Amino acid sequence: MKNRILPLILLILALLIPLAFNARPSIVAYINLAMIYAVSTVGLNLLLGVAGQISLGHAAFMGIGGYTSAILMMRYGVPSVISVLAGGLLAGFFGLVIGFPALRLKGFYLAVATMALGTAVTDVIKRMEVLGGDSGLTNVPSITILGYRFSSEFSKYYLYLAILLLSIFLTNNLLKSKTGMAFRAMRDSEVAAKVFGINVSYYKVLAFVISSFLAGVAGAMYAHSLSYLHPDMFGFGLSIEFLAITIIGGIGTLWGPVLGSALWVIVPRLFGAKLEAMAGVLFGVILILVVLFLPRGLSELIMRLNRLFKTKEGEQI
Amino acid sequence: MFNLIIRGLATGSIYSLTAVGIVLILSTTNVMNFAQGDTGMFLTYIAFFFIVRGLTPSLALPLVIVAAAILGYLVYKGLISRAKESSYMGMMIITLGLTMIFEGTVSTFFGNIPLLFPPLVPGDPVRFGSVILDRQDILCLVTALVVFVILSFVLYRTKIGIAARSIADDEYAARVLGIPIDRVHSFIWATSFGLAGLAGIMTAPRLSLHPLFMVVVQLKAFTAAVLGGMNSVTGAIWGGLILGVMENLVAYYVPAIKESFSLFLIVAILLFLPNGLFGSREAGRS
Repeated sequence: MKNRILPLILLILALLIPLAFNARPSIVAYINLAMIYAVSTVGLNLLLGVAGQISLGHAAFMGIGGYTSAILMMRYGVPSVISVLAGGLLAGFFGLVIGFPALRLKGFYLAVATMALGTAVTDVIKRMEVLGGDSGLTNVPSITILGYRFSSEFSKYYLYLAILLLSIFLTNNLLKSKTGMAFRAMRDSEVAAKVFGINVSYYKVLAFVISSFLAGVAGAMYAHSLSYLHPDMFGFGLSIEFLAITIIGGIGTLWGPVLGSALWVIVPRLFGAKLEAMAGVLFGVILILVVLFLPRGLSELIMRLNRLFKTKEGEQI
Repeated sequence: MFNLIIRGLATGSIYSLTAVGIVLILSTTNVMNFAQGDTGMFLTYIAFFFIVRGLTPSLALPLVIVAAAILGYLVYKGLISRAKESSYMGMMIITLGLTMIFEGTVSTFFGNIPLLFPPLVPGDPVRFGSVILDRQDILCLVTALVVFVILSFVLYRTKIGIAARSIADDEYAARVLGIPIDRVHSFIWATSFGLAGLAGIMTAPRLSLHPLFMVVVQLKAFTAAVLGGMNSVTGAIWGGLILGVMENLVAYYVPAIKESFSLFLIVAILLFLPNGLFGSREAGRS
């Protein structure tokens, strides 16, 4: 029974958060950013934690999604629902293209190739004058659904919360399906997966497509939220950030992306502007400590605490 | 044309220095070191700190390289050797964590504003017939040449170098033969970090000093290493030089694809020539 009540309490708390910070919209804005990061990281977590494929170019897909959605809405007046989805789909298509090298590359060779492709995407965007080139794209409008403009941070909060929960819900369902099992089999042993008749090539590319789609949607949210885009925002640095968030939050866990993103976005703001760079050092240290001592990141910490309070061994996620 | 090639070689020698560090670590310890560039950046800032306070560059350089070697030893002993049981991914992510620490430390203490690193050898460009070279370029070429001669001597003529090559060949067999794996690994990490520091200081006067100034160089070094075959030190040296020349020619004749050229090159080589030009084993698909 406890399993049903706890999520409900958390959901109600999540719905109440903006009301608690009514006087300080900037805090809500940070939470919004954390949720955008979380949507993108859900995608990377699926790719890295579940399907076992590394990517150091995840931010590039976010850029593709963001630019697509922004351009569609600004130049062609496409409704936001469609433009955001189109951003996700185009990013997913590029994921398909980048998934093919993944069929032949493994481990750090894949890491290097995705890093190169990710950086190449930002370079190409910089050269394209249609996309604003090196000066970036300004005045990206807010998301509008059925005539309602999501322009205030509070309205965005509820929209993003819905997208985030939807993406987690869908990913969770996917993981329980045949596809999810195929992903995990592939991660644990490619040979064994092949022996069981799993089409490894198909599922590898599929993992790239789904994770890129989520990154694209997150990118679109990002674009409409900040109303400004520049190719450098989606460079190698951001890709590493996503990788770090995935690992700190707990690789392959359901709520890891949310925990990691919350820590990542909100903690540096507590330091204040002067020491913000110091947060990078802190996260580097946390990342290394997690690799050395907590293979499942913050989720493991919570699982352990959970076990301390329960008398009998609880179910794992 | 000839001028472009020579200048390309000078740039390429920096890529080679960085690529050799990456390949040394990858082939012996089996870690893709994403911190090679930023280690160089961090050490260059340390050198800068001392040079601004009046130390001559010729004194700061050896000092920083020794510091680099100690840093490399500590990183291996303190972090990498502890994560050995976990997968290759764990160790790689540790190096990514290091880049965050280095970049964060530098931007906390020095800020994000580009700084001017003083040229190591001041003076006008030198003219050899039709070729005009900066003194800095000559220094790069000479340094790289000296380093490669020393390195090949160490790797082929000394006990620890031969041990390192045997580990790269087959770690298990090396262990059975009683080679002190841990000591050799520490030596390799110290050497690679030393090379990173050297590459950083060689690069800094050509670009400006910035927390991210080595990121591009590192990307090029990866390309060079991939071009050379990823597990061959000679390959990394030639890969860097070839890349430097190709890049200079491409930048002159087809400026539109200047930036992205090496990126697409990496992917193309990984896909169609996974052993690179000098690699010996099934490197790309292992």
